[in-house]
Amino acid sequence: MEYAVSVAKRMHCSILAAHINTLPFYRDGGKRSNLFTTAMQESAAHFAHKAAAKEVAVEHIGDSGKIGKAVNRLCHSAGRRIEFVVIDQGIKLEEVAAQSPVPVFTVKYPQNKAGLQAKTSTSHLFPKGVQRMPTATKKRHLQNTIVFGGLTAALYAAVFTNQEVVMTYFTKGGLFAALPVGLVFAVSYFHGNFTSSFWSALGIESSKATAGKTAEIREERPVKAPVRKDTRPRAELQA
Amino acid sequence: MHGPVTEVIQFIDLNAYSIIFLFLVGFIGGLVSGFIGSGGAFVLTPGMMSLGVPGTVAVASNMCHKFPKALVGAIKRFKYGQVDLKLGLIMGVFAEIGVQMGIMVQRRILESFGEAGSNLYVSFIFVMVLVIVGSFVMRDAMKIKKSSGPAKGGTTLAKRLQQIELWPMITFKTANLRISMWFLVPVALATGMLAATIAVGGFIGVPGLMYVIGATSIVASASELVIAFVMGLGGTLIWAYYGSVDIRLVMIILAGSLFGVQLGAIGTTYVKDYMIKYVMAVIMLIVAVSRFFAIPKYLNQLHVTSFNEASVSIMTQISFAVMCFALLTGASIILFSLFKARSVERAVLAGS
Repeated sequence: MEYAVSVAKRMHCSILAAHINTLPFYRDGGKRSNLFTTAMQESAAHFAHKAAAKEVAVEHIGDSGKIGKAVNRLCHSAGRRIEFVVIDQGIKLEEVAAQSPVPVFTVKYPQNKAGLQAKTSTSHLFPKGVQRMPTATKKRHLQNTIVFGGLTAALYAAVFTNQEVVMTYFTKGGLFAALPVGLVFAVSYFHGNFTSSFWSALGIESSKATAGKTAEIREERPVKAPVRKDTRPRAELQA
Repeated sequence: MHGPVTEVIQFIDLNAYSIIFLFLVGFIGGLVSGFIGSGGAFVLTPGMMSLGVPGTVAVASNMCHKFPKALVGAIKRFKYGQVDLKLGLIMGVFAEIGVQMGIMVQRRILESFGEAGSNLYVSFIFVMVLVIVGSFVMRDAMKIKKSSGPAKGGTTLAKRLQQIELWPMITFKTANLRISMWFLVPVALATGMLAATIAVGGFIGVPGLMYVIGATSIVASASELVIAFVMGLGGTLIWAYYGSVDIRLVMIILAGSLFGVQLGAIGTTYVKDYMIKYVMAVIMLIVAVSRFFAIPKYLNQLHVTSFNEASVSIMTQISFAVMCFALLTGASIILFSLFKARSVERAVLAGS
């Protein structure tokens, strides 16, 4: 993103940002498409903000289908002259380069800065492609808190307003034992999710340094002098 | 303690005081459980009984709140990669057998020595186990803290046991160890028996996993949650079969304890390895003191000693107060180290 903006400024171009959903018909009840839409809006806003800072015009396009074909289509569309294409990390270069009539650049980030992988809470769900969709984690935690909080409250309200009935059946014993056990499982699901997102929404989350590691890996490593890396994004030419 | 219930069960009416009390105890108990793998439940049974809940209902409801809490905690810590599921499940199954054995022993004692004898036995086991294991864990935690190096994988005992090739050998990937089933089973049985006797199997389970099996304290305390889930589910099914679970109490406690268990699990990702041992040892030793104060009451009932009534009742109150103090101490250490580590990490992140 930064690279595209700086290059556009230097070369006096404007940017046409294309967000391409490569799996529009992925069968998950529209979950992925929704995620894509929100991610696109967010990233568009982010992009526009950055571009505005450097006075570069930016236009957004949402599209779906194979990435190579989409690039080809955009390049041949009337009214625009596409000089070159810059693709984000995670997109297969060959796929784009094979069908693009103009040069294609990938951006190499010396540090793992591309995308917002670390910030995306869904990264473990979608191992490919989607993981770079930035979605507002905090906002989603808040949403989860409200949804599961509501469900938990409803469950509790249902039980405590009908105390008499509940207590009669739940203490009957025998096969009725399934009732308290089942209810407790429901509570642990709803309330468990609620409390989890509650702390996350408050910003209390697991340590970034040790999350996902067991104690075994925590052994000390020899201390090395930190080498300052070149953190500027670079382009690779693939004509 | 999963015995059948024959008497007519009385369920209490809830008022604001009891609701708030249960919620808070639930929260603190959950915090401790999420952090050290178990514990926190031991205050609930006497706590509920002090609210007028009959003993069987208190034990049943405590058991019923324990397994969802353990489940939520285990899932949370599984996401952090701390749980060895295989270890937990195998241990859990054998621990359940241990629970049944513990009940049998308990019943035998109840038949031959009566209720006071059984209570005395429970308190005696409490004090013995907690003092011995607690001081051992404490010494270890101190040693690690002093040497300030990384914790080495397991003790000499665990290493020696791991080298003995006795069929069937089981490999645990997350815990990163390979050990014969024959060393696993006694630890699991002891965990179950202790759980049946004093309601907290983790006081043997976690140190057993650390020192006999050789898991790190993070993996041990996380896998203990799986064991607690299996044992709790088994126990709850039996109690619920006799209809002694008061679901309202369970839900109130759960409302608090799930908040706690999440926070406790988050805490484990920040602290150093020895902190878990340290917190566990502190709680165990303070609880041991608490049970020590409970012994005169049972000795009186057995006519072994004759302390006067007033001092016995004071001692009983002291015992409960000390128990609450143990939990509060544990909880404050956890919270303190969590927020301290968090601010340190933030400072580091902001600096870099």
